[in-house]
Amino acid sequence: MPLTFIEIEKQKTWRIGVFYFILVGLYFFTMFAFVQGFLFIFPYNYLKTGSFFIWHYPGALVTVTAIAVVLAGVHFWFSASGASDTVMTSLGAANPDPEDGVHRQLRNVVDEIHVVTGRTKKIDCMVIPSLSLNAIAVEDLNGHAVIGITEGLLSRLTRPQLEAVLAHEAYHILSNDCIQATVATSLFGMYAAMLEKIQDFGDEERGRGLHPVFFLFWTLTKLGQMLNLFISREREYRADAASVRMTRDPVAMAEALYFLSRNWRSTGLVGSGLEMLCIANPEESEQEEDEGFWQNLMSTHPPIMKRIDILLSMAHADISILNKDAAAATGTIKAGNQDDRYYLMDPHSRWQGPYSPGELASLSWLSPVTWTRTSHGRTVRRASEDSLIHDLLAERVNKMDGKSSSLACPLCRQPLARITYEKTHIDQCRFCGGSLIENDKIPRIVARREEVCTERVKSLARAVLTDNQRKISLRKIKGGPHDASHPVCCPKCGHPMFRTFYSLAYLIEIDRCGICGLTWFDQDELEMLQCVIENKIAADL
Amino acid sequence: MTIWIAVGIFVLILSWIIFTYNSLVFYKNEVQNAWKQIDVQLKRRHDLIPNLVSVVKGYMAYERDILERVISARAMALSSSGVRARAACESQLTQALQGLFAVMENYPVLKSVESVMELQEELKSTENKIAFSRQFYNDLVANLRTKIEVFPNNIIAGLFGFGKAEYYSAGEDDRLRPPAQTVNRP
Repeated sequence: MPLTFIEIEKQKTWRIGVFYFILVGLYFFTMFAFVQGFLFIFPYNYLKTGSFFIWHYPGALVTVTAIAVVLAGVHFWFSASGASDTVMTSLGAANPDPEDGVHRQLRNVVDEIHVVTGRTKKIDCMVIPSLSLNAIAVEDLNGHAVIGITEGLLSRLTRPQLEAVLAHEAYHILSNDCIQATVATSLFGMYAAMLEKIQDFGDEERGRGLHPVFFLFWTLTKLGQMLNLFISREREYRADAASVRMTRDPVAMAEALYFLSRNWRSTGLVGSGLEMLCIANPEESEQEEDEGFWQNLMSTHPPIMKRIDILLSMAHADISILNKDAAAATGTIKAGNQDDRYYLMDPHSRWQGPYSPGELASLSWLSPVTWTRTSHGRTVRRASEDSLIHDLLAERVNKMDGKSSSLACPLCRQPLARITYEKTHIDQCRFCGGSLIENDKIPRIVARREEVCTERVKSLARAVLTDNQRKISLRKIKGGPHDASHPVCCPKCGHPMFRTFYSLAYLIEIDRCGICGLTWFDQDELEMLQCVIENKIAADL
Repeated sequence: MTIWIAVGIFVLILSWIIFTYNSLVFYKNEVQNAWKQIDVQLKRRHDLIPNLVSVVKGYMAYERDILERVISARAMALSSSGVRARAACESQLTQALQGLFAVMENYPVLKSVESVMELQEELKSTENKIAFSRQFYNDLVANLRTKIEVFPNNIIAGLFGFGKAEYYSAGEDDRLRPPAQTVNRP
């Protein structure tokens, strides 16, 4: 394997060109093999001309070729026109929210990719509301190109890593990988469907199965599919190399892949033939990869470890730096957080804490006269004497002046404050600490980990989960109705919200309005939900 | 007969000249366009800096000299002209900004001020765009240089006076690093 990204890109481009040419030829030969099978079964032509073989009938050859061309054209048209919109709609992807910090960064990075490619093609980006980690590129014949990235991946990558991933996806679009892959897959998918139909043909007595005359057809179809996968793998290598050419940062790409290799990366597109457009195979977990020759032969993506090795060899580094960097990153986060923890005396004269600065900002009873103590210092002083808390309070006053939401808290009837939480805007009550969130913002909040999950929230979440699990089990046994003890009314439309669990996997109770698409979290419920998902907390029964 | 052959050869040479000339013009314009793209990004950075400085000033009263360094570097960059001088001034500005960003890390309060984070993100993005457009520009310059220098294109280039485009070189500190090894191929 050559070392430089330019050489890799050149080599792979050449190879992909040749093999794609062979694949196109194979497509026609497969069609001939299919017709040949029928010539053996129905010997009408044999009786007339004395030959079984298709190459003795120039007329038939021309007809079959013409049919193959038309079929390919139809497939090309249907699979590639408007495909981007269909795929993105089915994934529930939405345009980036200009008010959201992380989404703004995404848009900037896509802009940067435009700059580095010389603005040859316009590429849109969309966000898929999923916690899994993946990115996908789709392009259609209308020239509409979209990169979709999951909320999970977006919130977990650093800026250079995000850039590398987006450059990889953008290259799939710029090099027409997307259209070629879509069409090739759907054409050989058509043959595979035909094979299945032939296999089902027949009756019970003589047995089902493939007629021997179609053996050549079967072989060629399988060969085509395998060649397709081979080209797909080569494309991944090429896009990796091109990503490095654009960002000149092989380590960031390697880090991103390394991170992907150890996490869940399904996109919600099962068996759609679009796996090869993702950054990493959505259907395989770490264990399934690197499982020998055959496994690799049938995979749309090369083994991630091999990709990482190539990238690292470009940077003259080895795998240990990835481990080290990951460890260092978590280490600094922990060290940084322990530095500035605060203990506060609450209105009932009890010490509470520890709180991170972020949590202090949302504490409703914090006032300039509250007694505070930091985790490392022993001195007790007024909150206003601490410069950080002082600034937080000043900030809160600013917020009270400026960004009051038009909606009122359903419990306190006071106007909600528009605040920034996990880099997106939510409405929060300054008095009870509850928050009102649009449904489409919940996945991204859950995916992000800016706010630190405290021990208090953790233990609270564990207790609530256990309690709720018990309640559900009891209801299942007794069959009682759902208790609607305190109906909360939607601040927007005024209709009662229904109290439900976030999901059956995450038993945190929330209030939803089915009309406005809003969700109300009581105090700590949002933090608990984040904490439960982040730390994979389960109810202990 | 010989006349026809001579005419044929003449037409061939003429069309080759036209083709080469046109392709050289094409590459030259591409390079110019890429330079304009860098310009756009540099201008954007110049526009953003005063905003950031004025917002940050209130929080960083003790770091006046760093802020002033940024401001003066910006003023220098604004008044410079020519590829080389421009590159030098802009790289100074880049360094001054990096110094400012590093100091800003010491002020956790700034992280909770949304407008600062927004501006910082914008500036970071612009920095990247500058680097990327520079990279794109240099790639095109390399391309044009090769086109001009190879035989027989160099005859045409010399005939019509195609000058070599200048690389946008990185700052002083970058130059201290050992250059990438070039391998002479037979």
